Amino acid sequence: MRIGILSFAHLHAEGYVASLRRIPGVEIIGFSETDAERGKRFSQALGLRWFWTHVDLLAEEPDAVIVTSENARHRELVELAARAGTHVLCEKPIATTTEDARAMQDAVERAGVRFMTAFPMRFSPAVRAARDTVRSGTLGRVLAVVGINHSENPKHHRAWFAERELAGGGATLDHTVHLADLYRWIFETEVDEVVAEVTNPFDPEVDVDTAGLLLLRLENGIPASIDASWSRPNHYPRWGHLKMEIVGEKGTLLVDAFAGHLHVWRSGSGRGYEWVGFHPDPNQGMLEAFVENVRAGGEPPVTWKDGFEALRVALAAYRSAETLAPVAPADL
Amino acid sequence: MKIGIVGTGTMGDVHAAAYRRIGAELVAAYDPDPDRLARFVAAHTVDPFQSYEALLRRVEVVDLTTPTYTHEELALQAFAAGKDVILEKPLALSLASGERIVEAARKSGRRLFVAMVVRFFPQYRRASELARSGQLGRIGVVRLKRVLFPPGPGWYRDPEKSGGLPVDLMIHDLDYVRWLLGDPVRVAARRSPPVEGEVLEHVQAVLGFEGGAMALVEGGWAYPPGYFRTSLDIAGERGLVEWSSDAPGPLESLFPKDEPPPEVGLPLAGLEEDPYELELRHALTALERGRPFDVTPEDALAALRLALAVRESAAGGYVVEVAR
Repeated sequence: MRIGILSFAHLHAEGYVASLRRIPGVEIIGFSETDAERGKRFSQALGLRWFWTHVDLLAEEPDAVIVTSENARHRELVELAARAGTHVLCEKPIATTTEDARAMQDAVERAGVRFMTAFPMRFSPAVRAARDTVRSGTLGRVLAVVGINHSENPKHHRAWFAERELAGGGATLDHTVHLADLYRWIFETEVDEVVAEVTNPFDPEVDVDTAGLLLLRLENGIPASIDASWSRPNHYPRWGHLKMEIVGEKGTLLVDAFAGHLHVWRSGSGRGYEWVGFHPDPNQGMLEAFVENVRAGGEPPVTWKDGFEALRVALAAYRSAETLAPVAPADL
Repeated sequence: MKIGIVGTGTMGDVHAAAYRRIGAELVAAYDPDPDRLARFVAAHTVDPFQSYEALLRRVEVVDLTTPTYTHEELALQAFAAGKDVILEKPLALSLASGERIVEAARKSGRRLFVAMVVRFFPQYRRASELARSGQLGRIGVVRLKRVLFPPGPGWYRDPEKSGGLPVDLMIHDLDYVRWLLGDPVRVAARRSPPVEGEVLEHVQAVLGFEGGAMALVEGGWAYPPGYFRTSLDIAGERGLVEWSSDAPGPLESLFPKDEPPPEVGLPLAGLEEDPYELELRHALTALERGRPFDVTPEDALAALRLALAVRESAAGGYVVEVAR
């Protein structure tokens, strides 16, 4: 199977290359990148063919592409890929507006290609086990969920993450979607309502939010929170956390998806002290599922609708912070 | 200073033990329940009194470790008798009641210390010093957790008598967040769906502050018996403080898991400073030397106002603007 990567703007692209290389039968045909410096750098570092334009890459007729551009450029690349008749794995958030997200859905539907949203946390073994436990009824009625997906400010890796025009928003858009998706997936319910604080207390140099605290009401009545802040310092031992506490009538589950780590001190490395994980990488599971879906067909394991609903939760947080009132994602 | 304890339940025991350890002059106790009083005076070697009035004649400071719904009447009586009052948190059940207590103290010229013990936990104190010293830069996001098993039978379970989870439990962290950031401008809170015949409850509140700081305060009577977890996380522009009760302490014990742990006297008092000792020593020293309290009556009132706003938002599902 031949897979291409459209844009190396997103910092996940490198990791995806490493994961794809571990999957038997997958050939990475290369990546397209309009930024020459970035193109040369990653072409040399990873030994990959670099295409100046996305059209050039698509002309090679890959079976599938991964869209890892800046958020605001997802629509353009997904439309190009659909027109070329190739299946798509799209980085999250799938778009920065509901309009763009809907246009992407129209494009893939018209072209008859499949669209998968990159929500790797669904492929974390701890998260999957938590979902099974919730669905088995062992916890009894679920009373509340406390979610944390806070991290360092990603602008230190890629500046555009903190640029409104390209990212569409800051921490709240970047992180809300992961937990919003997990809540929808674990509880098989939509998010009824969002109330949120969204501000920029951490970085006066950027024009996006760096902190977001959301309170959700799920359609099944469960209250759930999301901490989407870029509140970890950039010398923190790792990029951040993904945690969920699911408080049930009969018991509580504490999920810390990246808890399995070694404490490592290395001189000369960026952080000095680091947490180095030893559990399976959720990205690997996600890419294996994508490759399998491209091969076998059928509905992708994470759909466009999953990406769209999570996006609406994040956008509802911004709206709530403006209006100081609860907002229903379905109204957006 | 001669101290009398009124209310000989759990908190009465805790305060009495701390007074003994710091060598304070605990001399008197009163409780309307004679059996409970008899057990208490035997355990702590203090004189029992047959009435609150009689106790007030014997002491200079009265420590009210009684249920919240009795606070106003007992505190007003103490101030009228010219006594200083140490009052277990929360101050009162309503803002009006709290204001009457604070006003009575002011008018009588006597002093009121509300026992917000979380401010005296060494890790909370140290974290607050780090945050307030400016070493973390401007504070952006604060997270505070306090979740345990539901209270046993008794007045705690009755919101009419305890104020419910926000007023009885979350007030600790609401007071603490005020210590760090001052009063918020708005509060949004969500509570768990009620479970028939159970006290189980979990509340999350998001607080928004002038200038863009925010906080998530989580409280729960929702864990299985025996579990009590707290944590703090204070993120600033230039630094971060994390602490969780999940982290091991300076002394941990390993005994067979399937057997109840043996009754061994863990000498924790020698290893760690007990927050109740720190709290009561602070209160007594401030009284003796006429110094200000670290927790003022106005702080206690403002924390109560916040707790009531959390309860209102959780009940109504809307965002509550916090009046100053």
